[in-house]
Amino acid sequence: MNIVCTTEKLKNAVGLAERMTGKALTLPTLHALLLTATGNSLKIRATNLTLGIEIEIPAKIEAEGLVLVKGEILANVCNHLSDASEVRLSLSHDNLTIESAHNTTVIKCLPPDEFPTLPVVDGEQIEIKTSVLQEGIRSVYFCAAVTDIKPEIASIFMYTEENTLVFVATDSFRLAEKKISVKGIPEISKILIPFKNIADILRVLDTAPETIRIIYSRNQIAFIANGLYLTSRLIDGGFPPYQLIIPKETLTKVVLLKQELLNTLRLSTIFADKFFQVSFAIPEDKKHITLSSKNSDVGSSISEVSAAIEGSPIEVDFNLKYFLDVFQALSGDSVVISFTQPNKPIVVKSVSDTSFLYLLMPTNR
Amino acid sequence: MESNLTQLWNTCLGVIESQLTKATFTTWFRNTGIIKEEEGVIYIGVPNEFVREWLMTKFNKIILKSIVDNANHIRAVEYVITSLPTPAAAPTTVDTLFSTTSDQSSGLPLQDVYINRDDNLNPRYTFDRFVVGPFNELAYAAAQSVVKRPQNAYNPLFIYGASGLGKTHLIQAIGNEIKRMYPEKRVLYTSLEKFMNEYVSSVQNNRQQLFQDKYRKFDVLIMDDIQFISGKQGTQDALFHTFNNLYDQGKNIVFSSDKHPNHIVGLEDRLKTRFNAGMTIDVQEPDMESRMAIIKEKSGQLAFPIEPDVLFYIASSVTGSIRELEGILNLINMHSGMRQKSISLADIKVLIKNNVKPKKVISIDSVVKIVSEYYNLNEEVIYEKTRRKEIVRARQIIMFVLREDFNESYPSIGAKLGGKDHTTVIHSYEKIKGELGTDPHLMKELEDIRIMFK
Repeated sequence: MNIVCTTEKLKNAVGLAERMTGKALTLPTLHALLLTATGNSLKIRATNLTLGIEIEIPAKIEAEGLVLVKGEILANVCNHLSDASEVRLSLSHDNLTIESAHNTTVIKCLPPDEFPTLPVVDGEQIEIKTSVLQEGIRSVYFCAAVTDIKPEIASIFMYTEENTLVFVATDSFRLAEKKISVKGIPEISKILIPFKNIADILRVLDTAPETIRIIYSRNQIAFIANGLYLTSRLIDGGFPPYQLIIPKETLTKVVLLKQELLNTLRLSTIFADKFFQVSFAIPEDKKHITLSSKNSDVGSSISEVSAAIEGSPIEVDFNLKYFLDVFQALSGDSVVISFTQPNKPIVVKSVSDTSFLYLLMPTNR
Repeated sequence: MESNLTQLWNTCLGVIESQLTKATFTTWFRNTGIIKEEEGVIYIGVPNEFVREWLMTKFNKIILKSIVDNANHIRAVEYVITSLPTPAAAPTTVDTLFSTTSDQSSGLPLQDVYINRDDNLNPRYTFDRFVVGPFNELAYAAAQSVVKRPQNAYNPLFIYGASGLGKTHLIQAIGNEIKRMYPEKRVLYTSLEKFMNEYVSSVQNNRQQLFQDKYRKFDVLIMDDIQFISGKQGTQDALFHTFNNLYDQGKNIVFSSDKHPNHIVGLEDRLKTRFNAGMTIDVQEPDMESRMAIIKEKSGQLAFPIEPDVLFYIASSVTGSIRELEGILNLINMHSGMRQKSISLADIKVLIKNNVKPKKVISIDSVVKIVSEYYNLNEEVIYEKTRRKEIVRARQIIMFVLREDFNESYPSIGAKLGGKDHTTVIHSYEKIKGELGTDPHLMKELEDIRIMFK
């Protein structure tokens, strides 16, 4: 192998791929990046056996070939090549030589034939705006369960309803649902992307072009764009029929200013106990609700938040952390909270935006 | 059974582990296990697609070898993705409302068709499951002879017949049987289309030598759907050379097609003569009794038996392809499964109404038109009172066809064809019928005419 490519492109591609090497795995081969030079491009491949990525960058190929190098080392070298615009990679005697304007480094290589191929996904195909995926996933992923005990909820659930793409995540304490209308989207009955892969997928999507092609089967999904192939394992399971737990009726409805509620909740956090409990008290015929928290070691706080209240009075406790999480996904400047009974989930929505819904379970009093 | 498979896999893992580094072994073989064995195929459960892909491309050989060494009846290995064994579901901490356990779907039935990667054979197609009747006994006998005496069998064996009559089953059974009896022989089952695609890509990538070597290393080459070769010059050349090479080495070759080689349009003469050099046999449509036998054989695995009158009705009303019969059996299976009882005659009539072809209705005029066209005559002259030899002949054939194929009455045929007496019609009918037995040209003509009615 003997090639020349731009430092910037190589650095970005290696940086992206290196995050997906299987550092936690025992097989040293999987800590590495496979560089393949053919035609007039350089392909960089990495996998950790739940995710796999192949990035193609343009390069001047003087001799084709492939080489397997430790990802971390290559990424570190690339990060310090910023002074040169072009870099030459060449292979001789199992060593990869990287030459830029001012320095030459030699990296030891691994036998490349031990590096696995990426699964080719054979299934349904969709073209979709990358921004839709990013927005949908970002709106809900913080709710997903983080442990693998129940893999079907340690994931982001995607499905379609007519011309709407729906994203859902839950950890069984709270649930977020985001609906984005996409004209003419083909039917998707179920895609369950593992939560563990979401951060990496989002990072790759940030670099992807405006539209992206998705191919998915029962167990595997691929995101394909110009010079990019990202594939992830999917969860083969059933997402719980979450629509059943969205309350149908509302007994009490409260409309508040988002920023005011957020500030008050943050104040309450200072005095939260080890269960992060905050009490909501909604009186009848008043213009405000009361939030209180108490920690026997630190002190206590009681605050009022002005609100428009409809319906009967109610008192409910919540986990503060779970409540604070929703603000990253709420748009608009005011929120509406709907209560049914003290032991039933509440619904939090933005007043102006009906596409997002947050369901939160109260804690036991 | 269960523990036997676990034991088998543990033995195999022991063998495999000794050939790999520890890290490689744990990375690729952790959380794998044999799920089941079915008809000579072992199903290995793997945690995800990444592992599946790599086991298939990199380790398939050593896995298969280690399994066959310990269980020599195994012919293929398949990899299926199974979810990791999950620990007991954790109790839901807050409220059963957010419980997520309710919707655990049980595993879907695994895909039904398993293909061996090395030879493309589907192990389900065996001679045991092949129903032999008068319509295919010749083809069956020829197939058996290829298996029993490969050295001096008809080579090549060319089987042709309409779609859905079991050609693929028969030729794959040859492959499977040869593999069973002579494990050292290398068998390849492929379709012409695959052969062509490989040829085309070999030309694109300048790898013709590799392509030729690939096909020439097999002891038995079975090629399906050869009729698609028509008009493909390059593929014909490639097949010609491959054929010659294998033939000269005394390797067995089996073809299937939906047409006789002489009737494949655009097939070069040198290939035609070669295809015909061995044995060319057709598979006919099954007769009534064979259809009953087929339905009985195929209905063996149904949960609810099929009543004799239903069986009879299906066999008598659904003619033609066996594939269609299979479709109907699937339909019956679903219905009786849904209702939890055997299907009744009334039900089956409704169910398969679309499969039963209505008796052909065709007007006398159109028969006249088709036959006169065939003999290059003007339609009107048939009705005229003339005794010109060629017209009389055509008229007699029309009468024969109307009587034999469309069951018209003698008087009505006479009346329509220019007011002939019914005895004239009877005479014509008997005459043609008599000649049919002795005149091959007439037989051919009638065959051609009948095709035009379809």
